[in-house]
This record gives sequence, structure tokens and C-alpha cells, in this order.
Amino acid sequence: MFLVPSAIVLLAVMVFPLGYAIYLSLFNYDIGAGIFRFIGLDNYATLLNEQEFWDSLWRTVVIVASAVTLEFVTGLLVAYGLYRLTFGVKALNTLMFMPSIITPVVAALFLRWIFIGRWGLLSGLLISWGIFPPDFLGDPDWARVTVILADAWQFTPFMILVLYAGLNTVDQSQIEAAQVDGAGPWMLLFRIMVPAIRPLILFVLAIRVMDAFRFFDQIYVLTAGGPGNATETVTIYTYQLAFRLLQIGKASALGVITLLITAAAIAGIIATLYRRERGAF
Amino acid sequence: MRRPLRTQAPLFLALCAFTAVTLVPVVWAVLTSFKRPVDAFAVPPEFIFPPTFAFHYEVWVEKGFWRYLINSAIVSTSVVVISVSIGTMAAYGLSRLRSKTARGVLFGILSMRMFPQILLAIPFFVLAKMTGLINTYPALIFALIAINQPFTIWLMRSFFLDVPHELYEAAEIDGCSAWQVFTRVALPVVRPGVGVTALFSLLLAYNEFLLSLVLTGPDTKTLPVALAEYGAEDINYWTLSAAAAVGIMLPMVIFMMFMQRHLVRGLAFGAVKG
Repeated sequence: MFLVPSAIVLLAVMVFPLGYAIYLSLFNYDIGAGIFRFIGLDNYATLLNEQEFWDSLWRTVVIVASAVTLEFVTGLLVAYGLYRLTFGVKALNTLMFMPSIITPVVAALFLRWIFIGRWGLLSGLLISWGIFPPDFLGDPDWARVTVILADAWQFTPFMILVLYAGLNTVDQSQIEAAQVDGAGPWMLLFRIMVPAIRPLILFVLAIRVMDAFRFFDQIYVLTAGGPGNATETVTIYTYQLAFRLLQIGKASALGVITLLITAAAIAGIIATLYRRERGAF
Repeated sequence: MRRPLRTQAPLFLALCAFTAVTLVPVVWAVLTSFKRPVDAFAVPPEFIFPPTFAFHYEVWVEKGFWRYLINSAIVSTSVVVISVSIGTMAAYGLSRLRSKTARGVLFGILSMRMFPQILLAIPFFVLAKMTGLINTYPALIFALIAINQPFTIWLMRSFFLDVPHELYEAAEIDGCSAWQVFTRVALPVVRPGVGVTALFSLLLAYNEFLLSLVLTGPDTKTLPVALAEYGAEDINYWTLSAAAAVGIMLPMVIFMMFMQRHLVRGLAFGAVKG
């Protein structure tokens, strides 16, 4: 009885649109040209045979993998640092947490002003030190690096916060026992603490991978997928198809493919989580 | 355990350095927003300059960003009211189910949270276009509720799970109906939780960009959409868009001060990107 309103709303605003998107994906639907013709699975076939799709998928995987790895490594080190620090933790935590609640569009603009050629803070500083800076947003390779750094800037604090909370739950007696045995700080981290919070680590990695995979706002504002299509992720490509080229049918098909990839990944992660530890949530 | 100053001091300095680097973009943007264009475009970058509030005034008042603020406020508030009220009921219902069904439903909801939003944006766009709802508030509000709902349910459920079951049983023995147990017993206990959930929900709706970009028009543009259109295109508007961006950020900073204690729980369930 308590579930009914929510169920109705979710059906109306979530399940129905999803079904409609799947339906649209079976049509050659071009809003611009006014074409609406049933073509079965042709959209899927076109996409799977298309170099641009595979390129954008690969780019997404590279960007997501680099960003999440960077976030996790930094996050774990900083969280452990905070864990070992005996004073000022709260103030530091609050300050370093700031980027992650800033509206992503705003964050992307902030970073744009750091990285933009000539007038950006970074380029400006490098020029004044006599170094000729690369065009961080205009060069394909640097643009990818910038997009990765931008993701890391906004979401590392999330990692830090969750991992820090996790480290604090590790059994104190286990830590003391290891210290009595003469374990140094690094040994303590990797032998005792990381294994102890493994379910949490998997959980937070899973969330970050999923979110990074479909992330749109920052890349849209920072590079809009460019230069050329150097930073065109699957999501950006879908957006371009749907709202620039108005090929609604093909874009829907791409969206469905993304959904399937995501679903497979989630299923894998949940299965892993539940095998390792029940009740990780 | 004794932690000698010898190791504490370098650790503290290193973490301060990390924090400082993290905050550079924010500080730089705030500085830029108080600059005249001639200072903003100076090479090397200037850190000391005569500050001006002119651009904050210009962008919010003269360029009409206050209208987008009102749009954002209308949309976010409606989303929070609807999403949190039905989400709270659903969360309560789920917290009282102790079975495989509850887990199945929860994972269903969790996977909705992971849903690629672009796949929601396309059908919403087509439907809104067909029904003439583009550039109206309801289209965006519905779409944002879709995103908000899974998060609201998960977060609220975690608060309901903290409520001891004996409370419910006592109320039932006293003859409360199911609805009374919910409104008279459960709700008062989790009231702080409802507040926290509402605020995170607000954050989520306020920050949302993709669906807002697709579903709004000139009359209903929310702040992120307006800023993206304004700030990304023309470098000449730099100081103006910095003023707008800093203004948009401000409520979030205040939000964080209030929500600090609850950040872990809220974020773990996806308040930042939902």
C-alpha cells in the first residue's frame, strides 16, 4: 500500500519512457526531416558496424578507467593520511570536499578557466615562467587528460570521504595486533585495512565507474566532445545523434546499447559483492 | 597510541597542500568574478587587483539571471516535495518488508539509479515535443522526479531501518492502523532523516544539467543551462559568467556547512550524481 504512489510514478516517468525509447529505437526516426519508418533492428546493426561507435566506446572506457583509477589511488592515500592525522581532520575534510557538491556545469567552467589556452591560469603561469604551454583543451591528447583530471577533481573528494569513513570502521584490535607484530604504516594499509574494507571499496568503485560512464555535464562544457571527437564519449555521441543530428531512432538504439552494457556491468559487480560479503549495502 | 610530531607535521602539511591545490579552481573563479576584463585577461595572471562587484550585479540583475534562479527554485522545490513524499512512503513500505521481495525491489531501484540519463532524455524530449510540454515546468519536473526517486527511496530506507521494530509492534498492539503507524510513529522518529533526504534531493535537482538542457526553453531555463550557454561560448563574457558561476555555487557551499555530518550517507546513495 505504501509502495503504490511511488510505483505509479516510477512506471510513468521511468519504465514508460524506457519502453518508448526501445520502441523508438526500432524506427528510422528523423525529427528534422520528418521521417518515421519502421526498420526493425537496423539501427543496432548500423551502430555495431560503425567505427565511430566503437571509437567512442573505447574512448569512454579509457577515460573512465583512468579517471576512476586516479580517483581511487589519490582517494585512498588522502583518506589514509586523514586517518593517521590526529588534528585538523574535520576542517581539512570540509575544505577538500568542496568540489564534489559544486554544480558540475559550474565545476567544468571553473576548470575551463584553469585550462583554457592563453588566458587560463595554468597557461598564464607557464607562460610567465617562460614555458610554452600545450593547448590543454585544443590538443586531442591533452584534452583527454584534461577531461580525466576534471572528473578526478570533482569526484576524488567523494572517494576520500567514503574511504575515510570505511577506514574508521576497521577493527582497532586487528590494527594493534599488527602493530605489535611490527607492521609499518604501509603494511598496515595494504595488509590489514584494505582487505578489511574490500566490500566498501568494490561498492564505491562500482558507483564511480557507472557514474563516470554516463557522465555528460563536464565534458559537454569543457570540450563538447572535441577537439574533433577526441573526447567524444558514448553519452556525448548519443547526445549529438539525438539533439544535433536529430536522428532519434539511432540515438535511442545507442542509448539502449549503453543501458545493456551498464546493466551487465552492474550485474557483474553485484554478483561479486554478494559472493564476497552479504549485506555490503 | 602516541603519534609523534615528527610524522604528524609533514602529514599535515602534505594534506594541506593537497587541499590547497584542490581549491585553486574555486579561488581562481571567485577572484575572476571580482575582476575587470583587463585584469582577467592579464598575462601573467594577476592575484592583486582593484575588485569590482559590477559584474555580479550585471549578470544577476541586468542580464536577468534572477529569472533562471526562480526557474531553478520552482523546479527543484516541486521535485523535492513530490519525490520525497512518495519516496518516504515507499521507503517505509520497503523497510517493513523483510523478504526476498524487498531486496529484489531495492536492486531494481538501484539499477534505475545507474540508468544512463541520456536514454531518459530522448523519450522525454520526443514526448514533450508531441504534447507541447517542452519549455514548460511539468516536463522537467517529471523527468527530474524519475532521477530523484530511486535515490530518495534508498536514502530514506536507511533512516527507517534505524527505527526499532518494537516501536511499530507496540503501536499495532495499541490498535493503530497501518497508516497511523506510519504517520504517528514512523514519521516523527525519522523526521531529521526526511530533512536530510529533502536537502540532498534538492542538491540533485538543482545541479541537474542534461535533462534540463533538453527539456527547457527560453522561459524555463534553469541556472546550469543558462550558465552553460552563457559561459562556454564567448571568452569575452568571462568575468560575467564567473560572477554567475560563483553565485550558483554559493547556496551549495552553505548547504555543505549544514550537511557535513550526513555527507557520507547521502553521497553513498548518490546525491552528487544520481
